[in-house]
Amino acid sequence: MEAEIASLQAAALAEIETVGDRSSLDAFKVKYLGKQGEITKLSEGMRHVAKEDRPRFGKALNELRQSVTSRVEEREQALASQADAAALSRVDISLPGIPAEQGALHPLTHLLDRAVRIFRRLGFAVAEGPDIEDEWHCFDALNTPPDHPARNEQDTFYLPDGRLLRTHTSTVQIRVMENQAPPVRIIAPGAAYRRDEVDATHLAQFTQMEGLYVDRNVSVADLKGTTEYFFRQLFGSETEVRFRPHFFPFTEPSYEIDIRAKSLGGKWMELAGCGMVDPAVFEAICQKRGDRAFDPDVVSGFAFGFGLDRLAMNLAQVPDIRMLVENDLRFLKQFSAL
Amino acid sequence: MNISLNWLREFVDWTGTPEELATLLTRTGLEVGTIATRGADFPKVVIAQILEATQHPNADRLSVCRVDDGSGHPRQIVCGAKNFKVGDKVPLALPGAVLPGDFKIKVGKLRGVESEGMLCSAKELSLAADADGLLILPADAPVGQPIATLFPPETAFEIEITPNRPDWLSHVGIAREVAAFTSQPLKWTRPAAPQTTERDGRIGDLERCPFYTLQRISGVKVSQSPDWLRQRLESVGLRSINNVVDVTNFVMLEIGQPLHAFDAAKVNGDIQVRLAGEGEKFLALDGREYTLNADDLVIADSNRALALAGVMGGEESGVTETTTEILLESAIFQTSGVRRTGRRLDLHSDSSYRFERGIDPAGVLAASARATQLILELAGGTIVGSVEVSGKEPQAPAPVALRQGKVNALLGLELTADEIASALSGLGLTAQEVFETSTTWGIPSHRLDLTREVDLVEEVARVVGIDRIPSRVSANPAEPTKADASYDFQIRLRGRLAGLGLSEARTSTLVSPASVWSEAEAIKLKNPLGEDQSFLRSSLIPGLLAAVERNLRYGAASVALFEIGRTFHAKGREESPTLAIALTGQSRASSWRDGAAKAFDWWNLKGIIATLVPTELEWKKADAQGDLALVSTVSANGKALGLIGQLSPAAARKLDARESVLVAEIDLAALQSIPASPVYREIPKYPATTRDIAIVVPATLPYGEIEKTLQAAREALLVDIEPFDVFSDATGAKLPADRKSVAISLTFRAPERTLNSDEVTASVSRLRDKLKADLGAEFRE
Repeated sequence: MEAEIASLQAAALAEIETVGDRSSLDAFKVKYLGKQGEITKLSEGMRHVAKEDRPRFGKALNELRQSVTSRVEEREQALASQADAAALSRVDISLPGIPAEQGALHPLTHLLDRAVRIFRRLGFAVAEGPDIEDEWHCFDALNTPPDHPARNEQDTFYLPDGRLLRTHTSTVQIRVMENQAPPVRIIAPGAAYRRDEVDATHLAQFTQMEGLYVDRNVSVADLKGTTEYFFRQLFGSETEVRFRPHFFPFTEPSYEIDIRAKSLGGKWMELAGCGMVDPAVFEAICQKRGDRAFDPDVVSGFAFGFGLDRLAMNLAQVPDIRMLVENDLRFLKQFSAL
Repeated sequence: MNISLNWLREFVDWTGTPEELATLLTRTGLEVGTIATRGADFPKVVIAQILEATQHPNADRLSVCRVDDGSGHPRQIVCGAKNFKVGDKVPLALPGAVLPGDFKIKVGKLRGVESEGMLCSAKELSLAADADGLLILPADAPVGQPIATLFPPETAFEIEITPNRPDWLSHVGIAREVAAFTSQPLKWTRPAAPQTTERDGRIGDLERCPFYTLQRISGVKVSQSPDWLRQRLESVGLRSINNVVDVTNFVMLEIGQPLHAFDAAKVNGDIQVRLAGEGEKFLALDGREYTLNADDLVIADSNRALALAGVMGGEESGVTETTTEILLESAIFQTSGVRRTGRRLDLHSDSSYRFERGIDPAGVLAASARATQLILELAGGTIVGSVEVSGKEPQAPAPVALRQGKVNALLGLELTADEIASALSGLGLTAQEVFETSTTWGIPSHRLDLTREVDLVEEVARVVGIDRIPSRVSANPAEPTKADASYDFQIRLRGRLAGLGLSEARTSTLVSPASVWSEAEAIKLKNPLGEDQSFLRSSLIPGLLAAVERNLRYGAASVALFEIGRTFHAKGREESPTLAIALTGQSRASSWRDGAAKAFDWWNLKGIIATLVPTELEWKKADAQGDLALVSTVSANGKALGLIGQLSPAAARKLDARESVLVAEIDLAALQSIPASPVYREIPKYPATTRDIAIVVPATLPYGEIEKTLQAAREALLVDIEPFDVFSDATGAKLPADRKSVAISLTFRAPERTLNSDEVTASVSRLRDKLKADLGAEFRE
């Protein structure tokens, strides 16, 4: 019996060395370890062994089974890692990647959002108002005289009911002050409309951002500091900011802001209008509200506004403003990385 | 408006460069456009005469000249030109002269012969773009004088003037500002008012014309203007007409008061200032006939309108070569009236430009006196009587009180009372009453814009300069607003859509009638720029489809666009924030791995919408709508969100689309109102069991019915139903043509235990029975 065990072990261990693939290994397992396998058959021979010899043979058989089993496991692992290696060696990592579909935000959206984030750092909230406005919000409350050329049907789009498409986002200043007492710190991005023929630098519809800060003791110093902070955040700390005295009906004193920055091509660029809110605007608000919350002898404020289209155009070096509304994917996709 | 530097220098000293002047003007609030320079302004280029010319000993093409430069010591100049003869006068650049292009003239040797300067061509002096040889000067040119005596340098500034400053619309007006900002004296005093006589009853509407004056001058000889006058006018871009008309224009440009001269012989009876009759005709001197209405003010004689007051004179009563007696008008017309007439007739002039903005009341008689004096000088004649005045010279602006504290509070400065006073005095304001903390300021007659305290604050700010004001920046907490929430919602949505592979479009709010689903529900403009921009968009889809078409025509293989913007509606909420999507072409490009490309289809779009919305969606088939052949509404929690649709194949072909074109439009206010629930839900602890079934149903039965039937069975353990194959065979070979096979994966799970096979099998069996009973489904085994 012991000799049989020894010879079976020798045969099995010799044979397993010749097993080279998974199916031969399975066949080997059936042949030796299966229900009708050699080792099982030999175990059945235990019945003919003398009782006192049984533990000894039992132990030997166990060792046989264990040694074969562990060799089988070793072999299985070796074959698996061989197969893994073979599979990996067939992966051609030099083939091009499969691109993930990536869309793009409009360049105006990028600029607008950067602007919003800068002002939010200073504690400005976003405000909004309707595109369809009445003359009071667009002109009267903003101290624009009844016969002012801007109210002309040549320059402003009107609706049959006498309302109009806002010519600037300054209307939102009025909308906010009607409903909120000072302090007011808001920015209002949005569309505005002028009856301009469309060309390389003009659109009949454009995007503006308005800002308003009203509180006690707001001065030109705040106007200057805030707008300088904004433009330097937007265009880089080296940005030069120049204020030119100007005239707007709804601010006094009024300035135009010119910017010179590397990111804008290093040339002076007229960019924004701003000024201290005209007392006449505050008086119009007080009258509408029926209180003195915006008494110009108590509060003061500054307002500013600038167009985003031309700015986006200059920042991205876009040659024609119409490209911003043509929605050519070859154009839009250029901004996916922004 | 154009301003001539030479003209300006008559009224104020200016020694700086034109560019420096432009900078100064900008600082005062004037916007300077182009600066145009003419003439030859070279200090060391003089008029010289050629005394002798000989052949250069070493160069065939050069001559050696002896020239008289006026110094008494002839100079030797080597010259390459051939177009001169001895005796000619030519420009000579002396050593030290700097010619355009930073070309410095020095004494030097040319082929061994010394040259003490250079004879110049017109091109070398920037007097012409091209030149052949030396510039030969007139025989009477004064030798030794700077070349500028023949070609006086002239710089003209194109200046944009804000509507609040009509006092800037003249050379004296600009000079006044330059004087104030450079602390130089203004070299101009207002001409003394002439003798006047009251003339009542001439003005029919004192509001429209508060003050009207006429001076009669007889015996004038109308002819060409002298050179100096022509040059003045031409330097600012005006054409010379004749000496009388030129004087009226000259005085307007000098001091800002528009004037008009009538040919007295063509005036019948008395001059009247009256409103026009309804439909009255007027032939203006632009040669066009205008039809007036009762809101137009005219200057008329007893027969007809002679001039449109403040806007334009008449063709028939103007001054011509045959005129011998004139009536010189100087007046004030109401700003808004002139503006209305000019706008209605689309007729604008230098005169109306000034009247629309406002006239210095003290300038009316001064201008009349100045023009009369010039006409007498240039055209002869004599004054007949004194100036007839009607109405009243408007009063100078009322004094304005200014508090020192207000100036400093608004500007963020700490100016002393003296600094403030000096700034305002420099601008011609006069301190009338000085109190401890405030001063009452008298306003000069030309500053019609200074009526309030804040107007004076602005003046102080201009003079002091913004550079002196410190910069202050502060941060304060802001209360969140609804607009903040919707801004944040929309910007996140934009980012998510871009992440899903869609690109953001921005299309026009103004659209054509064809882009509006229903004209009755859309808002139309009263004065559009054109029919194609006559409506406010009621949907973003037409704009996006136009963008789709454009991209397809450019050859785009895949178009996936979205837009977030406002739509406008005549009924319901007037302005709605809206999201639209348009998809066509490849949803996935072909690749070595995945093989052929896949086109966007209905289910791609449905999937995108489902991804965007954080809740279960209800889809409902709707009627075809316009170009949308397939339409489904989508809602969440019973609230309508919008629709998705597929273009009819014919409409798609019109866009050049070869694949399906899918669109969606979602109401963003509704979308934003769906609560996103960032609340923890328990993660299942026990495994799920999945069973697949395949059923055969009528080909027309929507999948949705199958799912609804399964859900209606209310199997407690059934947690998910997912179709994984839909098969039909139009040939009828594998399946009857009117049937389809749908394979569905059913997922079962119990939250508190592992399921056993039997209970799942029992549940599946009940589901099968229900499908069989309710839908007549057969099972493929």
